[in-house]
Amino acid sequence: MSASLGLAHQSLVPKHSDFRRVYLNTRKPVSSCRQRYGVVTCCGGRAKRSFRSEKNYYELLGVSADSSSREIREAYRKLQKKHHPDVAGQKGHEYTLLLNEAYAVLMRDNLRRDYDAITGQARTRFRGDCSNIGYSSWKGPLRSQALFVDANACIGCRECVHHSSNTFVMDEELGCAKVRVQYGDDEQKLQVSVESCPVNCIYWVEREELGLLEFLTQPQPKDGYGVFGGGWERPSNVFMAAKTLSKQLKEQPATATPFTASAATEEETPAQAKARADASMKIKMEKFSRFWKLIELFGLNTWNKK
Amino acid sequence: MAEPAYTVASDGENTGEEKTSSAFPEIAIGIDIGTSQCSVAFWDGSQVELLKNTRNQKLMRSYVMFKDEIPSGGVSSQLSHEHEILSGAAIFNMKRLIGRVDTDPVVHASKSLPFLVQTLDIGVRPFIAALVNNVWRSTTPEEVLAIFLVELRAMAELQLKRPIRNVVLTIPVSFSRFQLTRIERACAMAGLHVLRLMPEPTAVALLYAQQQQQTLQDNMGSGSEKLALIFNMGAGYCDVAVTATAGGVSHIKALAGSSIGGEDILQNMMRHLLPNAENLFSSHSVSDIKSMGILRIATQDAIHRLSSQTSVQINVDLGNGVNVCKVVDRAEFEEVNRKVFEKCESLVKQCLHDAKVEVEDLADVILVGGCSYIPKIQNLVMGICRKDEIYKGMNLLEAAVVGAALEGAVASGISDPFGSLDLLTIQATPLGIGIQVEGDHFIPIIPRNTTMPARKELVFTTVHDNQTEALIVVYEGEGQKVEENHLLGYFKVVGIPPAPKGVPEINVCMDIDASNVLRVLAGVALPGAQHPAVSVMEVRMPTVDDGHGWCAEALNRTYGSTLDLVTLQKKI
Repeated sequence: MSASLGLAHQSLVPKHSDFRRVYLNTRKPVSSCRQRYGVVTCCGGRAKRSFRSEKNYYELLGVSADSSSREIREAYRKLQKKHHPDVAGQKGHEYTLLLNEAYAVLMRDNLRRDYDAITGQARTRFRGDCSNIGYSSWKGPLRSQALFVDANACIGCRECVHHSSNTFVMDEELGCAKVRVQYGDDEQKLQVSVESCPVNCIYWVEREELGLLEFLTQPQPKDGYGVFGGGWERPSNVFMAAKTLSKQLKEQPATATPFTASAATEEETPAQAKARADASMKIKMEKFSRFWKLIELFGLNTWNKK
Repeated sequence: MAEPAYTVASDGENTGEEKTSSAFPEIAIGIDIGTSQCSVAFWDGSQVELLKNTRNQKLMRSYVMFKDEIPSGGVSSQLSHEHEILSGAAIFNMKRLIGRVDTDPVVHASKSLPFLVQTLDIGVRPFIAALVNNVWRSTTPEEVLAIFLVELRAMAELQLKRPIRNVVLTIPVSFSRFQLTRIERACAMAGLHVLRLMPEPTAVALLYAQQQQQTLQDNMGSGSEKLALIFNMGAGYCDVAVTATAGGVSHIKALAGSSIGGEDILQNMMRHLLPNAENLFSSHSVSDIKSMGILRIATQDAIHRLSSQTSVQINVDLGNGVNVCKVVDRAEFEEVNRKVFEKCESLVKQCLHDAKVEVEDLADVILVGGCSYIPKIQNLVMGICRKDEIYKGMNLLEAAVVGAALEGAVASGISDPFGSLDLLTIQATPLGIGIQVEGDHFIPIIPRNTTMPARKELVFTTVHDNQTEALIVVYEGEGQKVEENHLLGYFKVVGIPPAPKGVPEINVCMDIDASNVLRVLAGVALPGAQHPAVSVMEVRMPTVDDGHGWCAEALNRTYGSTLDLVTLQKKI
């Protein structure tokens, strides 16, 4: 019974995605973000545009899009101290909910990357330390060498995942393996995994290079021109691209990188400050009536106005 | 407007704690009702102080004596003789009994206490009675707790010279929401308003946050975050928390708890010392109760001494010609209680795992609660955390109540000119909350260790064609099957438009506010429709009052799977 239900459910999801957009209030960042995430896979560009018109998590926390997790944490704490219901009373409830959502997403590297990809917030985090932009985390102390899978070469055979399941994972969407935890297994197992790769696409790289390589190997949205272009791409030779990029970064540390053409700037301009103030004002208005918010949550609003 | 209807819709059972939002008129006091001991603390304007009773004790035994016409609690009562408490006339350990049904193993373990605990094993509340003039007089844990709280309140009002209404109580992590309502109920009976119910280790975490802020003069912005593990084991419960602290904000990363404690250790030891203790426990004749009391005191004393000595001599005459004469060393003690210590270990590991914290990153390890004096407990916690030194600067038995008093002051809106109250606890949910789907499966909607306040939603659908009604049964817990979890309440969503199965969308949203009030909302719509099919339902949980076992069974028997739901789209 459950199997047949499972099937039914799969076929249902795409059919009703339009409905869900109407049904759940888009002002709620959780649902709207996730719902768009679902949409992104089929039509990336549109979702991206519609999100920009709304306030985002970075604005909510008052941090720039390239801030480190430490900055986010501090901003979160500062805002919590002001708005937490313990301090601000019940009226802080809605705002704190949003803060918690924003924090939960931005503090988890993978969720933040997804969020950034959806919202089109290219991060300019290269300029300082390159080691923290990658995907994989480290188990135990940092070592000088790290593992990296060249996704272009990977054929998705899962040999490495089989031998070192704590280190490698399969990226089902991209169809290739990647390193999730550096040194997640002991070295012997890792060596077996590296050797087991039929196309030799697992490399030991320097730790400093790892971040850039992992960043570049993630497909990036491509600019489209009318009906041409668009979609996702990654450099055909990740190693060369990383080398070029790191050279560029060294040469012009203060100016924008190729990836940040549209991105947020470091300093908050007056316009941005105003936008943030507006956003928080809007939030305050929203929680003006808790009841209405709950009604809206289920899209009852229009119905009631009749 | 429909609004007034909703504001009135709260359940009378759960009120008495009308959680007002703004301007609290008075500073809430902190109360720590332990399984064995209890204490009260208050914010005196510059720091937290503990109240002392007439016998100059800060820690008072938690029990209520039903000897005379008027029951008297351990707060003011003059007697200090343990034997009298153990004579069957006093009810103690109420924290272990409150809000539990008679199928609960903790209730069964309590049958070996001197007073009477009777079970029928059908999922109703146990029968509890105290021996008054050779008559078993029935009572309830709520009543006992309320009597005790009345005494505490009277003591506090006398000493603080003002009426006391708002309190912050510490509670074990593993308490279900139903148990929390029982605590609130007892408070309401005692005329107290519960401002916050704080899991014990989070109260300790708040105290830690204050200490860190004071010692480091480390104000916002410059804050380096410090991770700490807090292990709290008292007589009744064992709780663990991992907290991230900076700038006076204690952010709870994870909580874990279980109902094991000193009482289990004590009972294990009693059974070890007297192999046929079971007969003694079960008979409840006056002479057996007396023997049991003697054994209990001797065993307790031996356990205390084993914390400083490597072996103890136990030599006690239980009367009726029964003598216990034994030498117990630490190894033996640890072997007898191996299961208890293993459980502690697994709780610490689980908490670290849930918090996604590596032991290397822990700045401090804090041990509080009476059981933290036991060397084995210290060793095992420090061993897992790979630390050599326990955090100093906490009074093992007073930390929780001090934290509760701090929270009381913070949540009452008091600010301190010297910044000592520039504090905040960001709580996490100790247990997952979800609903029953596809027969007996449990789907969490708000998972465990979600930062509070929290709001999450999931979409469900029908399992039958033209199903017009659906039952939303809310559970709390971690089990995959609903039987393993606590039933919180249920309600029916009606008026689902007739449609093939799997088409209607039933959106279930759960909302927990900072004072831990849970609201469950359910709305129905057909795909493509602009408006929901029926009005949204908002239900404040828990709604179940008593007889949990019966409710779930009766629902199952009456409706079977006719009103079932299934997840439509799992939002991770």
